Amino acid sequence: MPPYTIVYFPTRGRCEAMRMLLADQGQSWKEEVVTKESWLQGPLKASCLYGQLPKFQDGDLTLYQSNAILRHLGRTFGLYGKDEREAALVDMVNDGVEDIRRHCSQLIYRSYEEGKAKYFQELPGHLKPFETLLIQNQEGQAFLVGDQISFADYNLLDLLLNHQVLAPGCLDSHPLLLAYVARLSARPKLKAYLASPEHVNRPVHGAQKI
Amino acid sequence: MRMLLADQGQSWKEEVVTKESWLQGPLKASCLYGQLPKFQDGDLTLYQSNAILRHLGRTFGLYGKDEREAALVDMVNDGVEDIRRHCSQLIYRSYEEGKAKYFQELPGHLKPFETLLIQNQEGQAFLVGDQISFADYNLLDLLLNHQVLAPGCLDSHPLLLAYVARLSARPKLKAYLASPEHVNRPVHGAQKI
Repeated sequence: MPPYTIVYFPTRGRCEAMRMLLADQGQSWKEEVVTKESWLQGPLKASCLYGQLPKFQDGDLTLYQSNAILRHLGRTFGLYGKDEREAALVDMVNDGVEDIRRHCSQLIYRSYEEGKAKYFQELPGHLKPFETLLIQNQEGQAFLVGDQISFADYNLLDLLLNHQVLAPGCLDSHPLLLAYVARLSARPKLKAYLASPEHVNRPVHGAQKI
Repeated sequence: MRMLLADQGQSWKEEVVTKESWLQGPLKASCLYGQLPKFQDGDLTLYQSNAILRHLGRTFGLYGKDEREAALVDMVNDGVEDIRRHCSQLIYRSYEEGKAKYFQELPGHLKPFETLLIQNQEGQAFLVGDQISFADYNLLDLLLNHQVLAPGCLDSHPLLLAYVARLSARPKLKAYLASPEHVNRPVHGAQKI
């Protein structure tokens, strides 16, 4: 009986990074899928600390906030750098991923048609920091920080995979990131998860358009 | 982070960047995300204010007493960050148009923190556990800023008022909050309020 439960909408959204992390770490977990209707009508929302999902259970520990969940799993599975210095860098990187994630969510949920041209124009500038970090770390052959995968890597990988779904080819002028995506996606357990129907059939997000 | 450092008896150097030098100089291009703050701890350079808070949290034991509490501290800090972003959007983009709605919604945004406090020794302790965490300094700052921008906006939140008063009375923090460097530093850099 897995100790982990993810309570979320039937989308990738803010949970796919943690799903990829758990799968890659050989963990199983339970999904409690929340439909939009039951969310709007039911008591779950009022019971959530910030009135939002995801809600995550690790045994008797209940957590909210997707990045707090990623950090918790990072601590649990040793995915938080090799020492305190690397931990700080992992935090810095994850916060940068979060900034793009919010930017992208605003686009998808508020102003896709009007905003998408500008978004994709600005995308190279937003991706540059991650290319810089990769180049500085064994010329892009390793991870974002140090020699081992961190929760920030799963978070960035998810973001990049989503971008490829929403705008195929948008990473073509970013060979370092394409190689990074390919290399991480080839990790055996992660590869199996990414090929699984549960992942493939789960939409990136829940907005009406695209 | 300044309140955290002061309360932990630390000193630090401030390198003040004017708007002009920021827009015209090479510093922005040298910053990982093209943003400030930039923080130096010896030879470690960090960006992202919450990464800096977490680093200092680790350094000074302000991250809960164990991994379970650490996760809760993270969850709380992320909630503070959400309000901070919401507030920044108001200040920097749409203050006049947005402020009525913002202050109407504020009680709902503050409720989670009241809930956390009540559940932890009925509001007499900290957000998580028995010791102060970086999330406390972050929430304290947010609440103090709200009191500056809209005096009285916390009056219907006695638990938070008591929390602010209790933390602000910590000796080193109290001294810092009374210092000219803090008192004379504006909450933000937007033109209006």
